[in-house]
Amino acid sequence: MRSLALALSVPVIALGTAAHAETMTIGLVAPLSGGAAAWGSAMKGALELAIEDVQKDGGLKVGDTTYDLKIAAYDSHYKPNDAVTAMNRLIFEDDAAFVVGPLGSAPLAALVPMATENKKITLTAGFTPIAAAKEYPYSFRAILPTEVYAKPQIEWVVKNLDAKKVGGLFPNDETGQAMVNDLAKAYEAAGASFPAQEFYERGRVDFVPILTRVLAQGIDTFELDGSPPQTAGLLVKQLRELGFKGNIVRTGGDATPDILAVAGPEASEGLYVHQEYDPSLPSAVAYEERFEKAYGGTMNAFSPGFYTSIMMVFEAMRETGSVDDTDAVAAAMSKISDFEGPAGKARWIGNDYWGTQRQLFVPYSIGHVTDGEPKVVATCSPTRCE
Amino acid sequence: MDFMTLTVQAGVNGLVIGMMYMLMAVGFTLVFGIMRIVNFAHGEFYMIGSLVAFYTFAQWEVPFVLTLVLAAVCVGLIGMVVEWLVIRPLRSDELTGMIATLGISVVLQNAVLMFFGASPRAIPDVVEGSLHVGPVVFTWSRLLVIAAAAVIVGGFWLFMQKHKLGRAMRAVAQDQEAALIQGISVDRIFPLAFGISVALAAVAGALMAPVFAVSPFVGTTPMLKAFIVVILGGLGSIPGAILGGLLLGLIESYGATMLGSVVADILQLALVIGILLIRPSGLLGHREA
Repeated sequence: MRSLALALSVPVIALGTAAHAETMTIGLVAPLSGGAAAWGSAMKGALELAIEDVQKDGGLKVGDTTYDLKIAAYDSHYKPNDAVTAMNRLIFEDDAAFVVGPLGSAPLAALVPMATENKKITLTAGFTPIAAAKEYPYSFRAILPTEVYAKPQIEWVVKNLDAKKVGGLFPNDETGQAMVNDLAKAYEAAGASFPAQEFYERGRVDFVPILTRVLAQGIDTFELDGSPPQTAGLLVKQLRELGFKGNIVRTGGDATPDILAVAGPEASEGLYVHQEYDPSLPSAVAYEERFEKAYGGTMNAFSPGFYTSIMMVFEAMRETGSVDDTDAVAAAMSKISDFEGPAGKARWIGNDYWGTQRQLFVPYSIGHVTDGEPKVVATCSPTRCE
Repeated sequence: MDFMTLTVQAGVNGLVIGMMYMLMAVGFTLVFGIMRIVNFAHGEFYMIGSLVAFYTFAQWEVPFVLTLVLAAVCVGLIGMVVEWLVIRPLRSDELTGMIATLGISVVLQNAVLMFFGASPRAIPDVVEGSLHVGPVVFTWSRLLVIAAAAVIVGGFWLFMQKHKLGRAMRAVAQDQEAALIQGISVDRIFPLAFGISVALAAVAGALMAPVFAVSPFVGTTPMLKAFIVVILGGLGSIPGAILGGLLLGLIESYGATMLGSVVADILQLALVIGILLIRPSGLLGHREA
């Protein structure tokens, strides 16, 4: 039943029960249906599990007040208009203390100015620099963007896999166009070339014709970054069907469970994948087991980052003794470091990139798919993978 | 890869995808020709067909031929019930009927999302391995799609030409009142046509499931392509849907291989606009009297 509830975009889910305490509403704006629902479900699951943990201890104690926590969840459908409508409701009807989401650069760009104007902390997931920009001081990002992880991972790929000529397919939109530039620069800086760059319309399922064109250019490495999880799985499957025997790498956006599910273990063998954290950590294993027990299916790797960020907001509220002073909570939050979460020790970074400290960082890793399982072959800091 | 290799590879790739578009479009245009309804839920019936393949072929290891039959029968029956419950009461108003199919699409997709989850699932290949002809590679699973789709469309064509019910359906499509005078029961033909239409979509879904994957959203793209195909071939024309499907698949494949995907997409839509300007009723469609 819980997985059923997770899939539905039920507007409000009340979790608090104690009558004596005050109630705090936490908003969620995420894609709960459509092709990006796996990511939205990961975010919603993270929020529900975080609240479950806080409620287990009697609620959130901030100063002299104990808050019962409840969720107001809205489906963004991965669209800016729906995300803005949801944010309006969260601010003016639900009076949300902070908001988990949105996901995706376009919804994020549309929603964050409104969140800033109304002083609401948002925990976002979108690769646009807006997510950590100076002019939006309450926007925190729970997921690492290409800008941070591309360079160290690509340096590792070029050095260790001897990648010289790289090709890739990208969605034909702002996300794909921006990503291919970042990736091409990173590959060139690392000493490889990226000559085979092709674009496709989102929703496409048959890539064989475009892959035939890409392979005709004699590449030795194929980059999967930028494609949604299911598409990445189809690309792997169809690349192997066409007889491609070179390296297939995904240097960003964890999609390994979906790639394995779609392409199958045989086609996925030997794949090098980005992992949002080290999945062999006992805390990560325990969180994944808990998530899958609660919701069924496989957990998307975005979930632990969101769980950690949500817990960091609670920690900052406890520290400042306030749930309403957004400036103080945001300032306290960006100073938190070595915070133990399911994905390991978390901290906020970003000064070197955007002059702000609102990008969540947990050590991430590169996995090598062997016997249908990604095995960690390198762990990465913001500067290098080794 | 030399030019000849690319040409042959792109030709086979185009035939595979064209066959899928053809199967989708034939059912789509059948319903429009007979019932004057654009079935926006057609893609969802494709998706349910792929789900049937997932459970029967991948989970319960039922032979694939039987899987195709089960997909057609199950979805065909669901289609007949949907026609009886939802579309029949709205038959007098085509626009309302179309909006109802849009509603059915949303309900089916979200119902599957609830019970199946958002994560895609893979189905093992029906036939493993590839056929290598020099540098050209054809996977057996894709070649199977071409053969199976040709047999299914051939069977459907024979049914429409030779069987009493097929001829009755054509009669209703040509002139409903004249068909009534000839003693053809429209109340029997409508659910049958709707059932056969969605059964064809389901067979396409089941056939393509091992080639792609299964998820609640797999029907969206084939549905959009079916739209383009029927406009290209002529709304209501079954030969037009066959020709349009193959043409679109080949254009898509050659365009993407030779010029890139973005140019291929532009080419497809430019072709549709061009054909509509020259022949507003589509390649093999007939102008309404």
